[in-house]
Amino acid sequence: MFKPIASIAATTVGEAIRRKVLLIILLIGVLFLVVAPGLGMLSARSETTVLRGMMLGIIQLTSAVIAIVLTVYMIPNEIERRTIYTILSKPVQRWQFLVGKYFGAVSALLMMMTLMTSVLVFTFWLQQRDASAIPDLIKAPVMYFVQMSLLAAVAIFFSTFVSPLVNFFLSGGLYLLGSLFAPFFQTLQESQGTPQAAKIFAQLVNTILPNFANYNIQNPIINPGQQIQNESSYYLQVTVYGVLYIAGLLVAGTIVFDRREV
Amino acid sequence: MSMTSGINRTPLLGAIVGCALGVFVLQNGIGTQPTGKQYESVTETLKNGNTRTVKKLKAGVATPAFQGISSSWQRDFNQGTVETQGLSPDQLLFALAGFREMIAGILWVRADSFFDSGNYDAILPIIRLVTVLDPKQIDVYATGMWHIGYNFTDEEQRSDRRYIPSALALGKEGARNNSLTYEMFFETGWMWYHKIDDDYSNAVKWFELAQERPDMIPARRNLITNAYERDGKVDKSLDTLFKLYETAGKKAKEDAAFGNKQNRDTLENKLDTTLVRMVQRGWFAGKDGRPLTGYDVNPPFDTGFSAKVTVTEARVLRFEGTWNVLPVGTRIRAVLRDADFPNAKPAGMEWDFSNDVNLDPPRDKTFMQEQLFVRNQRFNKKVDMSKDPTMYPFTSKDYVIEFYYNPRSAPPHIQDKFSWNGEGFTDKNFLNTQVREGQRVMYTSVKISKDQLLRRGDWREKVPVIKTANYLDKDGKAYNQADQVTIDLPSLRAN
Amino acid sequence: MRPLAAAIETKQLTKTYKSRIHGKINVVDSLDLHVEEGEIFGFLGPNGAGKTTTIKMLLSIIYPDAGEGYVLGKEIGDMSVHRLISYVPERPYYYEHMTGLELLKFYASLFGINDQALFVRLLEKVNLHRDMSKTISQYSKGMQQRVGLAQALLNDPKLMFLDEPTGGLDPIAHREIRDLILSFREEGRTVFISSHELSEVELICDRVAIINKGVIARQGKLTDLLRGGRVEVTFEGVTEQWLKDKGMRDSHVRTIAGGVLLDTTEEEDINALIDAARSNSGRIVSIVPRRKRLEDLFIQTVTDAPAAAAKKTITVEESTSV
Repeated sequence: MFKPIASIAATTVGEAIRRKVLLIILLIGVLFLVVAPGLGMLSARSETTVLRGMMLGIIQLTSAVIAIVLTVYMIPNEIERRTIYTILSKPVQRWQFLVGKYFGAVSALLMMMTLMTSVLVFTFWLQQRDASAIPDLIKAPVMYFVQMSLLAAVAIFFSTFVSPLVNFFLSGGLYLLGSLFAPFFQTLQESQGTPQAAKIFAQLVNTILPNFANYNIQNPIINPGQQIQNESSYYLQVTVYGVLYIAGLLVAGTIVFDRREV
Repeated sequence: MSMTSGINRTPLLGAIVGCALGVFVLQNGIGTQPTGKQYESVTETLKNGNTRTVKKLKAGVATPAFQGISSSWQRDFNQGTVETQGLSPDQLLFALAGFREMIAGILWVRADSFFDSGNYDAILPIIRLVTVLDPKQIDVYATGMWHIGYNFTDEEQRSDRRYIPSALALGKEGARNNSLTYEMFFETGWMWYHKIDDDYSNAVKWFELAQERPDMIPARRNLITNAYERDGKVDKSLDTLFKLYETAGKKAKEDAAFGNKQNRDTLENKLDTTLVRMVQRGWFAGKDGRPLTGYDVNPPFDTGFSAKVTVTEARVLRFEGTWNVLPVGTRIRAVLRDADFPNAKPAGMEWDFSNDVNLDPPRDKTFMQEQLFVRNQRFNKKVDMSKDPTMYPFTSKDYVIEFYYNPRSAPPHIQDKFSWNGEGFTDKNFLNTQVREGQRVMYTSVKISKDQLLRRGDWREKVPVIKTANYLDKDGKAYNQADQVTIDLPSLRAN
Repeated sequence: MRPLAAAIETKQLTKTYKSRIHGKINVVDSLDLHVEEGEIFGFLGPNGAGKTTTIKMLLSIIYPDAGEGYVLGKEIGDMSVHRLISYVPERPYYYEHMTGLELLKFYASLFGINDQALFVRLLEKVNLHRDMSKTISQYSKGMQQRVGLAQALLNDPKLMFLDEPTGGLDPIAHREIRDLILSFREEGRTVFISSHELSEVELICDRVAIINKGVIARQGKLTDLLRGGRVEVTFEGVTEQWLKDKGMRDSHVRTIAGGVLLDTTEEEDINALIDAARSNSGRIVSIVPRRKRLEDLFIQTVTDAPAAAAKKTITVEESTSV
C-alpha cells in the first residue's frame, strides 16, 4: 500500500528538483542569504537582530513561494501530460497518487529548505563566529517547514479542483489570511468594544482558517531576551495541529480527486 | 457503485471529522483555561550565564495540548497586534504575510542610513513603524527613545524638551511589550535619572522594576544606588550597596573572572566612599538627633543667588547672575516657556503625562531649558533662540522665565556642603520648599510678554531687563543703561 | 450478468457531458462492446468519436453515467483488474528526467515488482536495450512509444489498451510497433487498439468496431465486415447474351476486347456459372475479386448514417459469418 506512495513521491522529488523555475527561486533565496550580512552595519546587537530577522524572512518567503509554485502545478501537469493515466491504469488508488505527490512535494521542499538553512547557518557563522546561537536559529526553519507543509497541503487540496493560476492566488491568499487572522483575532478578542456576535464569528473563522501564524516563531529568536514559555510543548502542539490539518486536507482532497474526471 | 467513484467515502468523511476535531481542540482549546495560579516562577540559566525568571505552567496542572494554540501563543509569546498605518503596499503585504520581523529589519537598516546623514526627522516614523511591526526589538525602542530624548536640538545644542514625554511614552511601551527583560525599564529609568535630572523618585521606580528582572547585568544594577541617593533615600542606597556587594563577592568567589572581581572592587570602593560621606555630612548624627555642630553641613550655606536677564535682541536673551559657591560644578536651570504650556510645572513639566507615543510634539508651544554654568561665583550665558523658529515659535502672548537649583543634582564635592537633601543649603532670597515637596531648592519665576521677548510694540526701543533686587554687576554696582527698563524678579525678601 | 470469456463487455455504456451551449451531450451513447480474449480488437472512429472516453471509462479514469462495463469479467471500477491490464495513452509523455530503465523500474514499483532481468528483457523486446541508459528526453517519438509498450508489458498483462499506438510515427516506426502488437497476440494477450489509421488496423486486427458520434456503427470480424465485394470474371467463347440469360442478380455484362466481362457480387454462385460456361466450350480468362476495403467501409459508415439519429447499432452477428 505504501510502496506506490513512496515511488510516486520519489519520482515527484526527482521532477521537482529539476524544475528550472523552482531552482531559480531557490538560487535567488540563497543569493539573498549570502549578501544579507552586507546589508546591515549597525551596532553589534542591532546587526545580529536585523541579520537574523532578514535571513529568516528570506528563508520563509522563498520557501512559501517554492511551496506554492511547486504544488499548484503538480496535479494539473500530470493530467496535461497524460502521465497520470499511465499511473492510474496501474493498481494505484487515487489517494495513493495524491498522497505520493504530496509527500514528494514536501520532500523536495525539505531538501530545498535544508539547503537554505545550511547556507543560513554557514553565513551566520562566518559573520558572527558564534556557534552557540545556531541551535536556536535553526528552530525557525524547522517550524517554517511545518508551516510550508501545511501550505503545500492547502495548495494540493485546491489543485484537485482549480486551475494552477487560480490556485496560486487562492493558496497565496489563504497563506496571507492564515498568517494575518491570528493576530487580528487576538486584537478582536482583547478589545472590549467588539460585539459578542463578531467575536463568535471571528472564533469560527479562526478555527476554519489554517493558522499559519502559529509557526512564525522567529521573533523570540531574532530578539534577544525573548522566549516562548513551554517551548517544546508549544512546538509539539503546533506540529500536531499542522499534521492533523494536513491529514484533513489530504482526505478532503482525496474525496474531491476521487470523483474528479481527469 | 460503478457509476461514480470506486471508493467508499464514509471512512474518509470520518477521518475529516476526526482531523477537524483535533484541529479545533488545538486551535480553540476545550475545558477551562489555566488561571494565574497554575503558573509558577522558574529561574532559568541563559546561555550568557545570567539567569532569568519566567512564568511557567505548573507541571501536571494543565495539559498544554488542551488549551488551544492561539491562547497558548497569546499567553506564552504575544507577538503584538498588526498595525498597518504608514507602510507602503508591498511592505504591508509582506508584513501581513508574517514577515513583520523582516520588514522591521529592512526599515531599521534604512533608518541607520538616515542617522548617518543626520536626517533625524525621517527616522522618527521609521522607529515608530519598526516598533509597531516588531514590538520585541528592544534595540529599536532603546535607540528610538534615546534619539527622541536627546537628538533633537537647536543650533546651540539645547535639547527640544517638548519631545521628552514622547520618549518616555516610547520607553513605557517598550517596557510593556518586553516585560520579561530589564532593558526598557532600565532605559526609561535612565531617561529620568540623566535627561530629566530632577524627579529621581521616578528614576528609582523604573530602576527598581529593572532590578526585579534577573537578566539585568551587574554593572547596571549598581546605578540604582546613585538614584536612591539623589532621591534622598541614602539609607536605602547604603542597604542596596551592601546587598550588591555581598552578591558581587559571592559571584567573584564562584567565578574569578576579571569582570566579576572588578565589579566587587567597584562596589567595595563605592561602599567605602558612601560610608565616609554619610559620616562627614552628619547623616548618622542627624538620624541620632545629635547636634550637627562641627559638620560642614551646619549651618546651612547661603548661595546668595541673584540674576539679571537682558533681552538684547528679539529672541536673544543674556542670563547673568551670581552664585556664592566657589568650587565649579554648579548648573542653574533656566526655563523660558509659554505661560500656558500644557502640563507645565515649576521649572519643568509633567514629563510623564502621556502614554501615547506622539511623534508630533506641541509645535506651536515654546519650551527652552538651559543650564547656566557657574564659574568664579558668576554665570553669564547668551541664549539665542532666533535661529530655531520651529523649536521656539513664540506664538503665545505670555511667557514665564524660571530659575531653579536642586541640591540633589549637585556633584558630590558640592553635596559635601549641601548634603543629599539640601540640609546644608539655603538662599535667603530664593529658598523654596513648596515647588518640590519636602526638598529645599532655589526657585523663582517671572512673567514676560511676547512683545518684550520679540522687542515689538512698546519694546521696540526699550530693552527689557529682568533683575533680582540683589543683583549687582561685577564691579559691585547696580545700574541700567539709558534704554533699559527693569522688571523685578520676586524674592523672599521682596515678598 | 457477467459474461464469461469476454475480455471486454459493455452494455449500454453511456457517458454524458454537460455543455453550456449544447446542453447534455452523449459522448458515448449506449455502447455495447464485445471483445474476445486473445484477439486484437480495433476500435475505430474519427477524432472526437468517443474512443478515448470509452477507454478511460474502461480504466476507471472517468466514470460512466449509465450502463455497465466489464473488463476481464470484473465490473469496471474494480481496481484488482488493474494488475492484469495495461494502458499506453495517445502521444504519451513520460518523466523526461528518467532513463528508460528507471522508467520501467518506477512503473514496476507500482505493481511491487523489482526485477532487473525483466526490465532488460522487455527493453530488448522493444529494441531499446542499447538506449536504456539514455534519458527519455533524448528518445525519439518512436522510442518513446516503444518504451511505453515496454512499460505496458511489465505486469504481463492479459489485456492491453493502446490508444493510437502509431500516431505521429514514421513508416519504419509504424512497422516496428505493428510487429510488436502482433507479437502480443502470439503471447496470448488481448489487445484493444483505438485508432483512426485504418491501414494499420486492417493489417493486424481480428475484429473491429467503428464508433461515430458516441454510437457504435459497425462491429464484427474484419472478414465479415469487408464481405460483399464484387468479382470480375472475363470469359472467352461465350456470348454476352448467354451470360445475361443466366439472370444473375446485380450483374453487368459487357463485351470487351478479348472476351466478355461479368461484374457481379461475391454472393452469387460464380463456380456454377464457370462450370456452365466451360461445359458450353467457354474459357475463363481471369477472375478478379474486387474486395471492399476498410477505408470504404469506414467512410461509408461515418458519412452515410447520421449515427446520432439512427441510434441503431448495425452489428454483423456472429451467426451470419461463414
